Amino acid sequence: MVRSELNKRGPLRVFEKSINGGVGKGHIGVLASKKGVGKTACLVHIATDKLFREKHVIHVSFSQKVDHIINWYEDIFKEIAKKRELEGAVDVHDEIIKNRVIMNFNSKGTTIDQVLVSLRAMITDGNFPADSVIFDGYDLSESSQEDCDKLKVFAKDVNIELWFSASLKGENPEFNDSGVPVDLEGRIKDIDVLITLKYEGEHVHFQVVKDHDNMETKEMSLKLDPKTLLIARDE
Amino acid sequence: MNTDISKMRNIGISAHIDSGKTTLTERILFYCKKIHSIHEVRGKDGVGATMDSMELEKERGITITSAATSVNWKGYDINIIDTPGHVDFTIEVERALRVLDGAVLVLCSVAGVQSQSITVDRQMKRYNVPRIAFVNKCDRTGADPLKVKDQLVEKLGHNAVMIQLPIGLEDKHEGLIDLVTMKAVYYRGLDGEDIEITDIPADLLVDAEEKREEMLDAVSMFSDELMEAMMEESITEDMIHDAIRKGTLSQELTPVCLGSAYKNKGVQALLDATTRYLPNPTEVKNIALDLDNEEKEIVLEHDLEKSNVALAFKLEDGQYGQLTYIRVYQGHIKKGSELYNTRSRKKFKVGRLIKMHADHMEDITDAECGDIAALFGVDCASGDTFVQTGLNYSMTSMFVPAPVISLAISPKDKKAADNMAKALNRFTKEDPTFRTFVDQESNQTIVQGMGELHLEVYIERMKREYDSEVEIGQPQVAYREAISRMAEFNYTHKKQSGGSGQYGRVAGFMEPLDEGEYEFINKIKGGSIPTEYIPACDKGFKASLAKGSLIGFPIVGVKVTINDGQSHSVDSSDMAFQAASKGAFKEAYIKAKPVILEPIMKVAVEGPTEFQGNVFGSINQRRGIIVSSADEGTFSTVDAEVPLSEMFGFSTTLRSLTQGKAEFSMEFLKYGKVPKGISEELIKDYEEKRRKESGK
Repeated sequence: MVRSELNKRGPLRVFEKSINGGVGKGHIGVLASKKGVGKTACLVHIATDKLFREKHVIHVSFSQKVDHIINWYEDIFKEIAKKRELEGAVDVHDEIIKNRVIMNFNSKGTTIDQVLVSLRAMITDGNFPADSVIFDGYDLSESSQEDCDKLKVFAKDVNIELWFSASLKGENPEFNDSGVPVDLEGRIKDIDVLITLKYEGEHVHFQVVKDHDNMETKEMSLKLDPKTLLIARDE
Repeated sequence: MNTDISKMRNIGISAHIDSGKTTLTERILFYCKKIHSIHEVRGKDGVGATMDSMELEKERGITITSAATSVNWKGYDINIIDTPGHVDFTIEVERALRVLDGAVLVLCSVAGVQSQSITVDRQMKRYNVPRIAFVNKCDRTGADPLKVKDQLVEKLGHNAVMIQLPIGLEDKHEGLIDLVTMKAVYYRGLDGEDIEITDIPADLLVDAEEKREEMLDAVSMFSDELMEAMMEESITEDMIHDAIRKGTLSQELTPVCLGSAYKNKGVQALLDATTRYLPNPTEVKNIALDLDNEEKEIVLEHDLEKSNVALAFKLEDGQYGQLTYIRVYQGHIKKGSELYNTRSRKKFKVGRLIKMHADHMEDITDAECGDIAALFGVDCASGDTFVQTGLNYSMTSMFVPAPVISLAISPKDKKAADNMAKALNRFTKEDPTFRTFVDQESNQTIVQGMGELHLEVYIERMKREYDSEVEIGQPQVAYREAISRMAEFNYTHKKQSGGSGQYGRVAGFMEPLDEGEYEFINKIKGGSIPTEYIPACDKGFKASLAKGSLIGFPIVGVKVTINDGQSHSVDSSDMAFQAASKGAFKEAYIKAKPVILEPIMKVAVEGPTEFQGNVFGSINQRRGIIVSSADEGTFSTVDAEVPLSEMFGFSTTLRSLTQGKAEFSMEFLKYGKVPKGISEELIKDYEEKRRKESGK
């Protein structure tokens, strides 16, 4: 399969369709689940899909080492290339990683101000035309309203979409009647798109809880392939 | 010589340039009675510090190459391996790091943890080298050793603990308080050799008690015995030393000493700390690679009876010929015994075996595992492994990266020409990443290496050590050419001009090869090309790779398959088929859409976070890709991939962009495709050059 075809037909098109074309620039999207379900893999797949479509992505992480994030990207790329029999995979790989930057903040007590200063430096001084910023491991549910407002202003200001992962506490996180995780209830007004990941039987399934102005919970007909950790159609 | 291995230390002294490393080493030699007077690094007496054995190092006041010297301190044998502080000489730094078991990280009490210290510290972390810190220059204006300790914690992530406190700072720096013994230590006499130990001055006592508590809290984590004793208030000095040692060896604790080497303060206490807290050779795990078993890792044992394994980590040209510094890892090397060099696969006999001081030597008969010694007159290269016959181990991987930059050099006169040859011969042996050859077309001598600075240092050394002044050309990036698609060929070479003719036809195809430089596949059936001419075809194709037609650089990554051809019973010959293959290659090469490849460097820039915007911008301007940035509070690191051709002059740009506060290191990463616009320019330049040459 060639790259353009892959872009037209991938499961991420289903993903986008179920949230009305995507999170959109200037907006905030959140993937929520309890720990160990596969949020990072999903975020990396979402980011890789954007890279395939010639978009620029900044991946913000808060871990100890950059290497293991790069490995995530390598693994997800390899799985996609294998599954879809991508033609000229090596060249495509070299081409797309040019549009990805990983920014790691590993000192304790990094403030959102510091992160935003660095992001602005990358986008403006570094001339990096980012379309999306992926925040992996930044807990939106525990951030202050002030920080959350800063993020929203930033997204609008530089016209990019922000993706977050949110780890829900406990083995069986609670959800309210609208399907919103209780941990995120206080933040729901700031989130434009909220997707939850849950085990149903053997597979992890996707549910849209909030889609911009729409608060109706719906299934996404997607699942997470347990072997490759890729987002796949639920057929 | 001491035979008790627990009383042996192999240490490196490592620091940012100008932190006073050489002065400190000089003082250590003095107090260990290895030298009898003190010279300064940039001394007025023109003698220079003893460790700086190279002229160039004397002039610049920096140490580039690593020399080893052994001293004795209170019954301990300490081998000091002088490690270069510059990041560009990676092979040299890494070799030195392999050889040492522990290190003293020298920091300036004013400048604190500088970017160079961070790089060196990171390398030490990679090689699991336990460290103690020495905050030097406490006599300088603005000295603040406690601030430096905090920086060790913040910037380097060390669990740094003061084990001493200063008595006075700046021009009032007199000595130190030992927080283990709770005594004041003063350094009297002309050269600070008379140590006076007194009670702690009353005005410093409260502070000292507080800092001792802090120190005990931190180090007691490593000793249950000490923790219990703290509760029972029955602490002994030995218990504290023991706990600090455990913490240091596990690399979870960095004891901090302080003083001023220049003013002769605190050096003896640092030596005590070195022998007390840094490991002896048996406490460090060393690994060799088994060359008979796919470089499988083998843990070496500190056993005198086991087979010998030693690493040649440094070569030096002395008055009496080549001197080879070795570290013995296993067994013991005796004068007169036989050793085997696993790289050159040659046996040799150990002639003279010596121990080195910076500028004089002592003959020994035996070098035991853990020790550092030197051999005379052994023909070898730096990084070679010597073993007892029967073993085939290597201490380092055999992989040596290919040079990425070249420079044409020409001697200024006849004398310089003779000496240049000698110098190049020596340097190529010392450093496998430094190469040289004579370009047959221009008849110029070309030197190749891993970066601009790398070559500059050798040019300087030629002048200083070998009295050979050379003129240098523009640095040239080592481009490569490669094909990007499959292309067929069918070429007939025919000549009939009196005498015996030449005839050969070769057909087949060439295609890109992902790994490796060249592959030749013979798929001739039915003898259309007789078997005896097949090697000639291979030779012809191979010869074509030496120079591509785009910009005249070597071609890499080509797989050639021949599947048809024709011969003539009289006119065919080896030569005819070689010529036919060359013609075939030429024919198919252009059809195979050749591209130009350039070396891409892995660049790491480290500096204060406030300048990261400038760094991002400048990498972007240089066609670089920012792979990642790591923000560690006030300090950040940017990892990028940048074409080498864009990196010329980067150090100057970076200095001006960051007020000199950022530094960078680079190493070769891979070959990458040159973008179209630049590729067209290179081709144009090459054609221009050829036109000029042919018009001459």
